[in-house]
Amino acid sequence: MSLTTSDIDDFVSLERGEVDRRIYSDPAIFELEMERIFGRAWLFLCHESQIPEAGDFFAAVMGRDNVLVVRQKDGSIKAMLNTCAHRGNAVCRADEGNAKNFLCTYHGWSYGIDGRLLGIPGYKNFYAGELDKSRLGLAPVAQLATYKGFVFATHDSTAPPLEDYLGTTGRLGLDLIAARGDMVVVPGIQKFVIDCNWKIAVDNLFDWYHPQVTHASAFRSGALGPAPVRTGEYERIDMSGVTMDSGADLDLSVGVITASKFDQVVVIGEYGHAIGGPTTSSSGNVEPDTSWRFTPEAKAALGPVGVEVAGHPSIFPTAWVTVVPNQVSLRIPRDPTHTEIWWFTFVDRRLPPETRRFLVAIANRVFGPAGILEQDDGENWSQATAQSRGLASRRMKHLVNMGVGRGRIVKEHGLARIDGLTSEHGQRWTYHAWAQWMKGTSWGELRAATIPGEIL
Amino acid sequence: MGTSSDAHLSAERIAAAVRQYEVERFYYEEAALLDAHRYEEWLALFSDDAHYFMPIRRTRMQRELDKEFTQPGEMAFFDDNKMLLAGRIAKLQTGRSWAEDPPSRTRHLVTNIRVISDDGERLEIESNFHVYRTRLKSDEDSWIGVRRDVLRRVGDSFQIADRKIFLEQTVLLSRNLSNFF
Repeated sequence: MSLTTSDIDDFVSLERGEVDRRIYSDPAIFELEMERIFGRAWLFLCHESQIPEAGDFFAAVMGRDNVLVVRQKDGSIKAMLNTCAHRGNAVCRADEGNAKNFLCTYHGWSYGIDGRLLGIPGYKNFYAGELDKSRLGLAPVAQLATYKGFVFATHDSTAPPLEDYLGTTGRLGLDLIAARGDMVVVPGIQKFVIDCNWKIAVDNLFDWYHPQVTHASAFRSGALGPAPVRTGEYERIDMSGVTMDSGADLDLSVGVITASKFDQVVVIGEYGHAIGGPTTSSSGNVEPDTSWRFTPEAKAALGPVGVEVAGHPSIFPTAWVTVVPNQVSLRIPRDPTHTEIWWFTFVDRRLPPETRRFLVAIANRVFGPAGILEQDDGENWSQATAQSRGLASRRMKHLVNMGVGRGRIVKEHGLARIDGLTSEHGQRWTYHAWAQWMKGTSWGELRAATIPGEIL
Repeated sequence: MGTSSDAHLSAERIAAAVRQYEVERFYYEEAALLDAHRYEEWLALFSDDAHYFMPIRRTRMQRELDKEFTQPGEMAFFDDNKMLLAGRIAKLQTGRSWAEDPPSRTRHLVTNIRVISDDGERLEIESNFHVYRTRLKSDEDSWIGVRRDVLRRVGDSFQIADRKIFLEQTVLLSRNLSNFF
C-alpha cells in the first residue's frame, strides 16, 4: 500500500470530525508513522534528574530505535543508539544504571560513555590496525536538547530547535510540572503493554467525556478519597436514554464534568501539541490544591491562560503530561496494535519526606496498571482497536465530532485556546496534525499546516 | 540408644510438619477465596496494619542487582494499606468496574511454600505463585513470582501483616492489574 497525500487527507476530516479506522491497525500506515512521525519529531526520553552522575544511563525508545541517554563527565547529556557499530548487538542490556564503559558482548568492541569506540579485540592482529575507530563510535541521535530538565531527542538533523518545536503550547504543558518546584523523577518507571493502537491511547488523554463512565467505579467506591464536592449552580449532564445492560440507569451523580458553559479550556498549537480539560476554577478541576499556581514564579511561568489550564497537555506525538499527580506518560508504539505505557512521576526535591511519600502514594494508586483509574482504560482501548479492524467495522469512522465547528479560537498571550463545554477539539486537533505529519512535507509546510485557524 | 533425643527430634519435626500443613492450608484457602471473587473474606485475612506491596522490577547489571526492585516510598505497582485494599474491593462491587465485568477468570497456584523464620507469633513465609487469568474470548495473562509474607498467629490460624509480591516481569505484559496476588 503506497499512500498519496490525497489518501492521507481522506483519513481525517477536520470538518466532520471523523477518522478512518484503518489508521488503528494497518501495518503500512504504522510503517509510515515510524518514518514520518517517529523518525522526525522531538521525542521525550527522560528527565535529567534520572541520570545525575557521570556514567548514569537510562534506556529510552525513539520509534523502534533503542537509545542510551548517558550523563557525561562534563555534566552534559548524550543519547546514542544502543547498537554496536560492528554487527548491531546491543552494547547495554540494562534498563538503567551506572556504567564506566559499554561492552558489546558479541566480539568485545567497547565504547566510552561518550560513545567513542575505545577497544577492538585483535585490532592490530586481525585488522592490521587499519580500522578508523573514530568513525565507528556509537551513533549519536541527530539532535538532543533539554527543556527545564526534560530531555528530548530527534532523529532529524533538520528539525527546528526543541523550544520552537514545543512552541508556547508544548512549553506550557511541561511548565505545568516544572513550575511546581525543583522537580525530580521518583525512582521506578511503571511500564506495561496495552493491546491497542498508540493513537487510541493518545486521544484518550484529552478525553474528559469518559471519566465519569469509564471510571465510574473509582468515583463511586470512594477508593480515591471523597468524591469531588460541587458547589454553586451547575448544569447537569443530560442522561436521558442512558441505561446499563441490566436496564438500570447509569447514574452519573458523581463525575468530573458538568454541562455548565466555560468549565473547559482547550489549547492547541503548532505541530499538534494540545491541552484539554477543565479550567482551574471550574468544579471539574480535580486538583486538591491549586495554590501553587498563584505564586509569583508560577504565574510568571504559566501566564494568565496557563494558570487556568487544569487539563491534560499532550506533547505531540506521545507524551502526556498530567498535573494531578505530576506525571509524564509515554505511549510508545510497539506495533499497530500494541502500545507500551511508561509512567514518570515527579516530585519537588525540597518537599519534606512525609509529603513526598504521600504524593508518591497518590501517584501509585491513581495511574499505572493497578491504578484505581487506569485499570479500566486498557480494555476500552484494546476493544476499540480490536473491534475497528474487521472488514466491515473498519469501513466505519471513529467519531471525534463533539463540538465540531463550534470551537471559536481565541488567540491571546501567545496561545490559541477554545473556551467552552466538554468537547473533542483536542482529539480533532491531534488527528489533523497527525495527517499533516504523515504527508512528509517540509518542516515549514508542516508548521504552516498546523497553525490554528479561527474555528475548530 | 538415644531414644529420648530421637523422640525430641521427632516431636520437633512433627511440629514443623504441622506448621507447614497449617501455612499451606491457609494459603490454599486464601487462593480459593480469590478465585471465587470472595474479596471481603479475603480482605479479612489481613491485619489492620497490613502493607501490600508490589515493587517495579528493573533489568540491572549483576553488579547493581541490589537496585533491581523499587523500595517502599518509591514507585510501585501496588503500595496499599488495608484501607486502600478495601477501596479496591469496593470498586469491584460497584457494578461499574468494567475491566472486571464480565469478571476475569483466575486461578491462583501457590507452591514452594517455605517457612523462613518463626518466633512463635510472627512467621516469615516465602511462596511462589502463578496467577493465570483469562478474559473475554481469548485474552490470557500469566503472572509468576514470589511472595514474601509476614504472617501473625491468630488463634489457630494466621493473619497477613505484610505481603511483598515480586513479579518475574519488568515491563508488565498485561494491560492492567485488576486482580490480587
